[in-house]
Parts: sequence; structure tokens; C-alpha cells
Amino acid sequence: MRAVFTDSELFELIPQRPPIVMVDSLDNVTDEGAETGLLISDANLFVQDGQFREPGLIEHIAQSAAAFAGYKGYARGEEPKLGYIGELKRFSFYARPSVGSRLHTTLHVLGEAGGITLLAAETRCGNDIVAEGQMKIFLKDD
Amino acid sequence: MSKEELIEKVNTTLAEEFETDIEKITPEANIKKTLELDSLSLVDMIALIDNEFGVKIANTDLPKIQTFEALYDYLVENMK
Repeated sequence: MRAVFTDSELFELIPQRPPIVMVDSLDNVTDEGAETGLLISDANLFVQDGQFREPGLIEHIAQSAAAFAGYKGYARGEEPKLGYIGELKRFSFYARPSVGSRLHTTLHVLGEAGGITLLAAETRCGNDIVAEGQMKIFLKDD
Repeated sequence: MSKEELIEKVNTTLAEEFETDIEKITPEANIKKTLELDSLSLVDMIALIDNEFGVKIANTDLPKIQTFEALYDYLVENMK
């Protein structure tokens, strides 16, 4: 399974809308995970003093997971679902990306049970890892 | 790996991860109660089993795995 969704096409996959959208590309999807991206603009809500802050990185990873789940739902003809962050585990932040840089995030599903998905996430800026950890996401059924 | 070795490894792995007295893990014991799993931590066990034993427990199979004995049997049936 492979897909490329960018910018407003992602609105088919995630429920968020500007200015809170923190993912601008879904670069690859497999059954086991996904790759996403985000260009850090100066207008981004989570930018302060030219740096993308940690809450933004968490939101970017959460929306990456939402896009991944949304893609699977999209393939079944479903509308995007609201998702909630259940837990962050073993999370580390190593740097605050600068305005103009591009994030690349890799997600890998570690487990699923009862509507909750545990994902391993790694976000890079260029060759550098800027954040990594595990996140539990709960998707709300209609 | 024999079933006895599998049981020992399962018990040790789960007791360590969920900080449970290994003597509480008996074949007939309820997994969720013994390991004090809630809906959030249940997925941790699923991921741990996959990582340690290479077995993905399907959502549809979860209701059948209430006790440790059921878990051992499931792993024996599904381990490559």
C-alpha cells in the first residue's frame, strides 16, 4: 500500500483544519506504519523565536498518526475520526527545528487493542533526530 | 523452545514489565487482574508479546485470551 497526500488533500484524512494543521504530507503508508512531513513556517502556531517548540512536535506526531489512521479509513470510505493522545512513553526531544526546515516522521505500529494504537515515532530534521518516543492514540468512533 | 521454557519466559517478561510478583502469575489467573491492566496498558502487553515472541494478537482473538493458560496456548499455536 502506498500513497502520497499533500497539503489540503490531507483534509480527507485528518479532522484538523488551519491554523492547527501540523502535517503537510503523507509520503508513504504500509500496513505497519507511515511516513509524514511538515515544513515549519514562520506563521506556525508552535513557533517561538524562530524555533518549533516541543508541543508542536507532539502535535505533529499525533496528526501524523491521525493521517495514517485516516488513510486506512479513507480506503474504506470513512470520514476522518477525532483522535486523542492517550499516553506519551519514552519520549525524548533533542532539538527545536528552525523555521524553514522540514520535518520527516516515521511511524511504526507496535500494537493495537480496543481502539487504542501504540506507535513508535521518530522525527528527523535533515539527518538529525529531533524527537522520538512512543505514543498511544485513541480514535473516537462516531 | 519447549512449552515449559515458553511459560517461564512469558511469566518473567510480563512480571518484569508490569512490576508484578511472578508468583501471582498462574495458568488459571486472569491476565488483566493479575497485571492490573487497563485499556491503555493492555496495548503495552500486546506490543510486548509481539516484540518478544513475534506473535501479533489480533483484536478479534483478545476476548479469548483471558487467562495465562490461554495466552500460553495462543503463543504455542501462533509462534513461527
